[in-house]
Amino acid sequence: MSFEMSKRSLFAATALLAVMLAAPSAHAQSRAETLRYVTGATVNTLDPNIPGSTREAFALSMSSYDRLVSFGRKQLNGKWVFDLDTITGELAESYQVSSDGLKITFKLRPDAKFQDGSPVTAEDVKWSLDRCVTAPILGKAQLLTGSLTSADQFKVIDPLTFEVTLPKPDKLALPNLATVYPIIINSKLAKAHATAEDPWALNWTKENAAGSGAYIVETFKPGEQVIAKRSEAWNRGAPDKPAAFKRLIIQSVPEPATRANLVERGDADLVIDLQASDVQSLEGKGKLKVISTPQYNAVTFISMNNTIPPFDNVNVRRAIAYALPYDDMFKAALFGRGAPLYGATWADGKPPSGGYPIPQPIKLDLEKARAYLKDAGMADGFSTTFSFNVGQAATAEPMAALVKESLAKIGIKVDIQKLPDAQMSTAINEKKLPFFTEGIVAWLPSTDYFYRNFYTGKQRWNYSSTDNAELEKIAQEARFEADKAKYEEQGKALNAIHFDQMFQIPIWQAAQDAVMQPTVDGYVYQFTRQVDYRNLSRK
Amino acid sequence: MGTIVATLARAGRRFVSSLPALFGVLVFTFLLMRVLPGDPAVFFASGPNAGQEEIEVIRRQLGLDKPLPNQLAIYLYDVGRGNLGRSMMTGQAVAKDLKERLPASLELTLTALLIALVSAVPLGVLAALRPGSLVDHGVRLFCSLGVCVPTFVSGLLLIYVFYYLLGLAPDPTGRIDIFATLPPSRTGFLIIDFLLAGDVEGWWAAARQLMLPALTMALFVIAPLARITRASMLVSLGSDFVRTARSVGLSWWRIVVTYALRNAILPVITIAGIVFSTMLGANVLVEKVFSWPGVASYALDALLVSDYAPVQGFVLLMATIFVIVNLLVDVLYGIADPRATVA
Repeated sequence: MSFEMSKRSLFAATALLAVMLAAPSAHAQSRAETLRYVTGATVNTLDPNIPGSTREAFALSMSSYDRLVSFGRKQLNGKWVFDLDTITGELAESYQVSSDGLKITFKLRPDAKFQDGSPVTAEDVKWSLDRCVTAPILGKAQLLTGSLTSADQFKVIDPLTFEVTLPKPDKLALPNLATVYPIIINSKLAKAHATAEDPWALNWTKENAAGSGAYIVETFKPGEQVIAKRSEAWNRGAPDKPAAFKRLIIQSVPEPATRANLVERGDADLVIDLQASDVQSLEGKGKLKVISTPQYNAVTFISMNNTIPPFDNVNVRRAIAYALPYDDMFKAALFGRGAPLYGATWADGKPPSGGYPIPQPIKLDLEKARAYLKDAGMADGFSTTFSFNVGQAATAEPMAALVKESLAKIGIKVDIQKLPDAQMSTAINEKKLPFFTEGIVAWLPSTDYFYRNFYTGKQRWNYSSTDNAELEKIAQEARFEADKAKYEEQGKALNAIHFDQMFQIPIWQAAQDAVMQPTVDGYVYQFTRQVDYRNLSRK
Repeated sequence: MGTIVATLARAGRRFVSSLPALFGVLVFTFLLMRVLPGDPAVFFASGPNAGQEEIEVIRRQLGLDKPLPNQLAIYLYDVGRGNLGRSMMTGQAVAKDLKERLPASLELTLTALLIALVSAVPLGVLAALRPGSLVDHGVRLFCSLGVCVPTFVSGLLLIYVFYYLLGLAPDPTGRIDIFATLPPSRTGFLIIDFLLAGDVEGWWAAARQLMLPALTMALFVIAPLARITRASMLVSLGSDFVRTARSVGLSWWRIVVTYALRNAILPVITIAGIVFSTMLGANVLVEKVFSWPGVASYALDALLVSDYAPVQGFVLLMATIFVIVNLLVDVLYGIADPRATVA
């Protein structure tokens, strides 16, 4: 009898235990279908076009809105990255470029629906693109780089056919439509919220998403979190499926150590902006998946203002280039995570490729540096300041200390100046800084695009205040060059001028370290340097 | 009844007399923000391809294209109507941002202050009862440790031990578990809202989330509170009325609590008021470490990017709170020592 009892109670206990264990597992189930992404930045607007939008806002808009087309993906050293050369349809089922390259015709997906259930029509596309080139928003300057400047270029043929006309063939026109800004908005909904002062409903789209994208924004708390649910009607996922995760949580966690703890404890699924040291230790422990991709559309520089003495002297710039302790900087700032842009060998001293950026044939050589300094008539050196912004202190601070130490050896006295971000931007815009570090990014990383945007003109992005007639001429010509071989030659010529004149010194492409749970699959490095949530799934 | 009316009247007079100071703060921060280097328009136009045209658009949006006196006049007019401007950083109205975030900061700070007072006052009393003893030294050591370890260090340490190693604390991000459903917002204080909604489980989740950050902040301010308690207890214990009370044979407890402590508590209230005001502004690091969506981390982010409106709004808010806390201290004074109301 007693045996029977204990057996029964054992059974009861087991059942109770099972119930108790089952309760939290129901909870865990919902977590399995959710992607929790933590970031140090914040989403500050739901419309990526609003001036001041953060990169996290761009990433969210990639999922809440569709564009006409999107970039494909390719493998680079075994890692998936976006592919500038494959443009696939997103809202467009297909597109056709006319033989003279002046007309692009898009056939829209007949089954595409906005998140409120209404169909996506060519009228919506027209309104959205008109807005992008007319309203005072960020898309305007971007689309300009693809010869898209006026609403006259956009035409509705029928409800599902849309046509773009170009003044001349521009190979960046189509890729531009795949970038962050030319989102296709539910025009009926947006127009209903437009006012006389705000005809393009910018104030409304800032806080409301009216797209046809894979995720529907549920709660949006700027500076804290965004929660979005999957749109079941969205079928642009591979192959013709909605996105894999049912729910998306994008949460701001300012402290990098906390982000590392969260992902290590399994509470967060994915994080891309950890400190290099944390990534290294997490990778060492081997419990998490770490995908480290050099940001192949970004470059970190040590810049010199070519109009401020003594940096207006090419020999001073060359001297600096040979006096930088590249290897030490790379280890101290990035723990070696990234792709170095120094220490190459160029056969016959000529650039081996017309790509941008390419590793430069420079390394630390103090003798050479001293010789150049002598040629510049400054054998005794000079004094200058080296600036960086607080936001980049984690990598720039150790770098600055090493620059100071190394330049002291050739008689150049460096004062380190750490500036708050807004102050640094202002000083750069006013061309006041002689010597500093900065980074550049291009969404459409073609050689002419880099040279036109970052080495010509008086705008802010010309960090080194470069003014070189030959470079400008070649870069402008290359823009519309259709012949691939010729384009490559032009690229080589540009790279040769860059190296000869040493406007600024490219040092590396930092790695984008995506740290995720081993179950998370499908990560692709994107042109936004953010995560495209639509790619991800759980194994 | 009369004393309450008198206290209220006095508080009202004090509040009105502090209005010019608030106005001064308003104008001063406005000017200060514009004198500081760093142009918000340039910073926020930092997206790829943002050129001079975009900078001008933002400058117009922020009203920075107008002459300074005009800007000030517009700003004062707006503030008068309760409009604190718009934050570029979050894209929201500053008044809305502050309103949403202030309860988070207040909840954290008040909890921390409560923890600090509950532990500091007994510690101070203990130390004062046996000056120079082992207990006294122990309290001194504890206080020194608390005050000399910066909050972000103790915060990260607590996270490391209680979240990372032991797994006892919930993940240190924000006010509530990200998967939990929020109670209907009544006061903005989560632990009160959960109770009002009768959701015990939610209340416990919110309380657990609050524990580590509040503890971090409390550790930092226990020292001044305990030291002040000890010092004024010593004075009070050595005074004539305590000696008299002892001589008539009153119980130990009654002497210490009713006579000595009640008299010793006045400076503690003063310090607590000051400590509270500084904590509210100074908990930036705690808010950062614990991703706490409060006003201090909001103001710091805004300052870094020269986002004028939030910084100005924050300073105004802090000044107002400072005035209110001072009033409150006055009122508490009156309750602790009725003679104070006459003054």
